[in-house]
Amino acid sequence: MTVTTSSETHPALSDQDWGFSTIDRPPSAINPPPSRMFYVYLAAPAIALLAVITIYPFLWLIYMSFHKVGFGSSSDIFVGFENFSRLFTDTKYIEGWGLLLKYSAICLSIQVVVGVALAVVLNNSRYEKILVTLFLMPMMVSPIVAGLLFFYLYNGTFGWYHWIFQSLGFLGETSILGSTKTALYGIIIVDVWQWTPLITLITLAGLKRVPQDQLEANMVDGAGSISNFFNVSLPNIYPFLLIAILLRFMDNFRFIDAILALTGGGPANSTRLLPVYLFDVSFQFFKLGRGGAIALTLLIVTIILGLILVRVLEDPTRKKALSGDPDN
Amino acid sequence: MVAVSFKDVWKDYGSGAVAVKELNMNIKDGEFVSLLGPSGCGKSTSLRMLAGLEHISSGEIIFGDKVVNKLPPKDRDIAMVFENYALYPHKTIYENLANPLRQAKVPADEIKRRVTEAAELLEIEHLLERRPQELSGGQKQRTAIGRAIVRQPQVFLFDEPIAHLDAKLRARMRSELKHLQYKLGVTTVYVTHDQLEALTMADRIAVMNDGVLQQFDTPQQVYENPANSWVATFVGEPGMSLMEMEMTSVEGDMALAFGSETIKLDQKSAARLAAAGKINLLVGVRPDKASVSLEPLPNGIQCEIYSRQLLGADVLVEVEIGKSRVRAKADTSFGGNVGTPCHLNFLSENLYFFDAEDGKVIPQ
Repeated sequence: MTVTTSSETHPALSDQDWGFSTIDRPPSAINPPPSRMFYVYLAAPAIALLAVITIYPFLWLIYMSFHKVGFGSSSDIFVGFENFSRLFTDTKYIEGWGLLLKYSAICLSIQVVVGVALAVVLNNSRYEKILVTLFLMPMMVSPIVAGLLFFYLYNGTFGWYHWIFQSLGFLGETSILGSTKTALYGIIIVDVWQWTPLITLITLAGLKRVPQDQLEANMVDGAGSISNFFNVSLPNIYPFLLIAILLRFMDNFRFIDAILALTGGGPANSTRLLPVYLFDVSFQFFKLGRGGAIALTLLIVTIILGLILVRVLEDPTRKKALSGDPDN
Repeated sequence: MVAVSFKDVWKDYGSGAVAVKELNMNIKDGEFVSLLGPSGCGKSTSLRMLAGLEHISSGEIIFGDKVVNKLPPKDRDIAMVFENYALYPHKTIYENLANPLRQAKVPADEIKRRVTEAAELLEIEHLLERRPQELSGGQKQRTAIGRAIVRQPQVFLFDEPIAHLDAKLRARMRSELKHLQYKLGVTTVYVTHDQLEALTMADRIAVMNDGVLQQFDTPQQVYENPANSWVATFVGEPGMSLMEMEMTSVEGDMALAFGSETIKLDQKSAARLAAAGKINLLVGVRPDKASVSLEPLPNGIQCEIYSRQLLGADVLVEVEIGKSRVRAKADTSFGGNVGTPCHLNFLSENLYFFDAEDGKVIPQ
């Protein structure tokens, strides 16, 4: 090969110096793009696992809700919508819904207000790291352990909380969990104790991302710290808060470990929230068909409420505003 | 409208990091002052101390006759334009502009009138319903200025407000900002690292370096009579060249020794240097006051071309003399290229003289 080194051509541009010019295959032949099936094979084990642990049980749930499920030698009997239609006349089912909604609403309101307030106080505080670590602890405790812990704290003979609430005059002769008036608040306190830190943590992460220059601009505009929070911080942490609220809302519809440990639904059904009732029907009375129907309605309502929550809280222009690159 | 002064202001971040050292500055009522310096020189810190966003370690900041050291930003009656505009992404342009007035609890119809007025002045009235992320850089910048002017503050603070605009828009905004400030007559402090902005807009420039105020004077004075060698090289584009020279005498007349060459002095410069009595000097020359030629020049200094840059109308030639490099402007017809021997020439009355030890200018 002759090297063409005319006065215009830089020596480095002659073919001889470049190794790849001797390769006669196109680069794609060396490393062909993988076929579509390749990706399917890669994903197959995960999909199979997912099918076994979520899709199959879900289909089984739907199957159960339309059958009277038999045990042992007796076989399942198809009953159509009977499991569902009976729910409308089941007072425990309807009361369960009322209690669940009340419990959820109170828990969420307290957790959001207290959680956000704590995050604001913690943010940039000198003891932030230590306090955040301490706040994480309730979340690390298993819910059933949290339930047992409060079971002792609420104990009418030696419980500290019992003593405190009684001294403050909130209680009559009964213990917190022993009275139909106070038992629901007893389990609410446990949920608030255990899960407010989650809201605090998520909000704190959001607060770290509030642009400093917007806060400063607002201060120069004449805002004090309260106005600064509502005017700049809150709109900026809104997407974070929305996720936190959604998580807690769905958890409240599912988690009953602490309630089972504390009251098991009593006294006199005053803490028999719908998921507790569902547990009783399915695993105390083993009416798996009716349990399936309850579970299915609970699932559908959770999804619908979740979608409504997202729709109501999420202002599309605001979402666009916050996801947009501030420099463009 | 109010006069603003810094009195012995220090800013110390602790652990030995001092951002601003003993700043003394009196800004007159209605004046446009530019804080100029390289990044990290303390100019932004000074501005933030004026705004109340940064505490001062010692000294006093005075608005009119009131010490404002302890006042939070909201009580200082200032408006600030930030480098990144700091618009509120969740609010429309109208709400962004209205924010300072809402904070001040101005009645709604008054807010509407003043926001519309400001928007018209800045030609953004058609954007009021949009949100910041739908705007171009220039429009955002106007909104940020609009937010500053709606409340009719005592002092405007600008923190590199046009640094992120493209060159053409920047040139236009320079003249618009200058016009706006003249019309409103509000005391203005403008932080920039771009000397062109400072020179073109400011009534007076405060040049800062390493937290120390180097010079505080009119743009013309800063350019023509720099207080020290640092200001001399920082201000002016292309910058002044500095050469190390020594006082000597040739046939009984005072002269400067520059390597193996000597440069004769005119009478005025000679008298000035004799009065100062310094031996080691830093001698500066601006590129447009120096000339290069391939032909030998009378009093010319032998040198070699280090680089040649076309500036458009003329050519910037950098020549090497010993270990010094000197920039000179030449006609575009100048033929030399890198490595060509040539001759440098300048008149001694166009030279700047600084003490080689502390860099201070030799007094006139």
